Amino acid sequence: MKLELGYIPIHNIQFGDPSRVEDGVLYVNAEDIKTLIMKDERVASAEVELARPGESVRITPVKDVVEPRVKVDGPGGLFPGTVSRVKTVGSGKTHVLKGAAVVTTGRIVGFQEGIIDMSGPGAQYTPFSKTNNIVLILRPRDELEPHEHEVAVRMAGLKTAAYLGELARNLTPETIETFETLPLKEGMEQYKDLPRVGYVQMLQSQGLLHDTYVYGVDAKQILPTILYPTEVMDGAIISGNCVSACDKNPTYVHQNNPIVHDLFARHGKDFNFCAMIITNENVYLADKARSSDWTAKLCEFLSLDGVIVSEEGFGNPDTDLMMNARKITDKGIKIVLLTDEYAGQDGSSQSLADAHVSADAVVSGGNANQVITLPRMGKVIGSEAYVGTIAGGWDKNKQPDGTIMVELQAITGATSEVGFGYLSAR
Amino acid sequence: MNKIKVVHYINQFFAQIGGEEMAHVPPEWRDGPVGPGLALGAAFGEEAQIIGTVICGDSYFNENVEQALDTILEMVRQHQPDLLIAGPAFNAGRYGVACGTVAKAAQDKLGVKAVTGMYVENPGADMFAQDVYIISTRNSAAGMRDAVSRMVPLAKKLVKGETIGASAQEGYLPRGVRVNLFEKERGSKRAVDMLVKKLKDQPFETEYPMPNFDRVAPQPAVQNINQAKVALVTSGGIVPFGNPDRIESSNASRYGRYDIDGLMDLEEGKWATAHGGYDPSYANQDADRVLPVDVMRELEMEGKIGSLFHFTYSTVGNGTAVKSSKAFAEDFVKELIQENVQAVILTST
Amino acid sequence: MLILTNNPLVNTKASIERQHLLAYHPVTYLQVLLLARDFVHQGHRLLTHPLSGSVKPNETLYKSIGISESPRDGLCFDSLRLIEDAIAAFKRFAPRDREITPQMDSDFQLVDWTLLQSAFSSALTHPL
Repeated sequence: MKLELGYIPIHNIQFGDPSRVEDGVLYVNAEDIKTLIMKDERVASAEVELARPGESVRITPVKDVVEPRVKVDGPGGLFPGTVSRVKTVGSGKTHVLKGAAVVTTGRIVGFQEGIIDMSGPGAQYTPFSKTNNIVLILRPRDELEPHEHEVAVRMAGLKTAAYLGELARNLTPETIETFETLPLKEGMEQYKDLPRVGYVQMLQSQGLLHDTYVYGVDAKQILPTILYPTEVMDGAIISGNCVSACDKNPTYVHQNNPIVHDLFARHGKDFNFCAMIITNENVYLADKARSSDWTAKLCEFLSLDGVIVSEEGFGNPDTDLMMNARKITDKGIKIVLLTDEYAGQDGSSQSLADAHVSADAVVSGGNANQVITLPRMGKVIGSEAYVGTIAGGWDKNKQPDGTIMVELQAITGATSEVGFGYLSAR
Repeated sequence: MNKIKVVHYINQFFAQIGGEEMAHVPPEWRDGPVGPGLALGAAFGEEAQIIGTVICGDSYFNENVEQALDTILEMVRQHQPDLLIAGPAFNAGRYGVACGTVAKAAQDKLGVKAVTGMYVENPGADMFAQDVYIISTRNSAAGMRDAVSRMVPLAKKLVKGETIGASAQEGYLPRGVRVNLFEKERGSKRAVDMLVKKLKDQPFETEYPMPNFDRVAPQPAVQNINQAKVALVTSGGIVPFGNPDRIESSNASRYGRYDIDGLMDLEEGKWATAHGGYDPSYANQDADRVLPVDVMRELEMEGKIGSLFHFTYSTVGNGTAVKSSKAFAEDFVKELIQENVQAVILTST
Repeated sequence: MLILTNNPLVNTKASIERQHLLAYHPVTYLQVLLLARDFVHQGHRLLTHPLSGSVKPNETLYKSIGISESPRDGLCFDSLRLIEDAIAAFKRFAPRDREITPQMDSDFQLVDWTLLQSAFSSALTHPL
């Protein structure tokens, strides 16, 4: 399977009519977007705001971040099974508005988190301080259940990203990257002297605000399965997840999965990047046993020599991570794990809730309990009302001068467990 | 700004007094830098001055810890430095323990900032890494230049009250405290790099070492315990009264092997503990509380075990390096095997 | 499955569904963990992960854990390790003294309920 990603760089965003891309500027017609979102009867009102890198702006509570893309060639469309019809994606050509992101905000539950500061000390911890953000502020109808509300906000983000991506359909990309994964037998023949490498991605799958969807299927319901890695670039995996802002994977990160990209970068040189395996992190312990058995079995079936395993979340998934580590290692396959840490504010506690001796090669996304002081921002998109109640926030964390103290947990993408960021800990 | 005032602690060897034969020398003060202090002073440049050097023999220090420490602290206190640098001790075990002890005491008792340096396997590293900043050095004095080049910047930061980065950045041994840092490469790239190394069987360094399990897989159950020869082993420090083998009350460097043939009970006044990590009164009153010879004899008579092996092995687990403990066990386990001992009961405190 | 919970919403919902046994105790989060450990000591197996959910133990007040309905011979060491690790993890998160609004309270109940509920279909088909 071969996919060409064509990048159209976006250096700035402006409101404008009609929505279009000109000279690296994305012009956004807010009315069009509102109309698009308001087609969903669950939404009572929608607003669109813009936030650019370097501005004195805080976006909170952030639910999801999505990258505008469009499929210009090849089967299927963006976000198959949710926005587009179900069709296997990951081949052909896809255009990307690189540098733009759709950010959804709005309260779903009363302890919601997710902070993106576009400038100041908080900005270096979130990758989305560097993107030009189109922020959607959604209010649901009063009687709407949180489940339905989550779906409405999730869909609004995806649809808006697809709408904006559509603007890139007929543009000429400035740069093009090509990614190709051969079918099993051909790959083995072409790279017969290289070690065989796979990527196991663990997906949040625990319940409301803890879910992930694969081609529209709730990941709780899947058995571990195999993907061509390029499928995720077309939105095969989307986030329905908004607890634990620091280490959940927004849809944007699934689309740009850095492990997939960095494995492709050395594919055919240091190893043969054969396949991606996705598995889940269910609450029911027998599900964990089954999923980790299957994950190890698929690794063995693909004759892999090495595997990178990424976690999503803390606590319950630590157990899945260690089960995967143990069972894959038992197959004689070498592993590297990616996780983050909850070592306490002073860093002196045990970082993970589970451990196993096979986990001897671990990359850390940093200690999520580290406290950071964020200065007052000139403008808040969304509401700061929840900052005191979010993970790693305190009631009395708001100082008279407007500065707030939070743990990194509260910052979107701060301790990415797929290694999207540069933070680590020792 | 005034120059940072530094006191340097070194042993007899680095002071060029002599080797092992001179290790008995008591603490001594000399004005200005001595030996490696010259390199330290050069690295500090104009910012700091080594006002004096405390020299102490390694044997003297370790055999007279309290007295030596009192004398050394008094010397340091009189000169009111901003900083104490100890060593670096590289892989010299007793020197490492002395450096760690002096640095920790200077820091805790005198409020003087302190830095030392050791090779990661120096027993002093295990004992003091959580308490003082120990720069990770090579295992011999050939690593002096590297060590100094990392001890000096860290020491300056400590004195100036600047933020201390993560262990990997500053070069100190991990203190069991996780500190965040920004890496040059993103996490995914680091994971791929680590995997490539692992695939090639090259050395790699995990960013999060799993808690030290060092778990031993349990042996299958003893088939006929009522016929088995069972030995007692303890890290609770139970020794014949007077501690004939001079097992240290902490960070033990040896173990003892004691004959309990025919003994029914460990009597007060004949047996006691050498352990310095817990209140010894109950153990001294009745050492069976730690090393249950009396109960084992009862089981032996009831036929619940075959017999109690006539030697018991004892050491002190108080801060004793895991490596030392392993070495002790590897040593005495030979005898256990030779004597057909089938089970061991290991008691701690 | 026997549900140990301190969540009033679980008490209501699970009582209506009547598919599982229910032990509702209006106690603290930690006490639910300790209660689960008591059952594990008596030979029950954990069926759901005691640290389910990304809502940290010092944020939410509610915890629901599914265990086997009856004890079996011998202690399940995997269950014991999991519950002990969960208790240790709980203690690592410093208690947070803060006001819980009625809205937050009901949201915490709801999320805990959906986490537990996610185990139901598996629990009904899995041999206990």
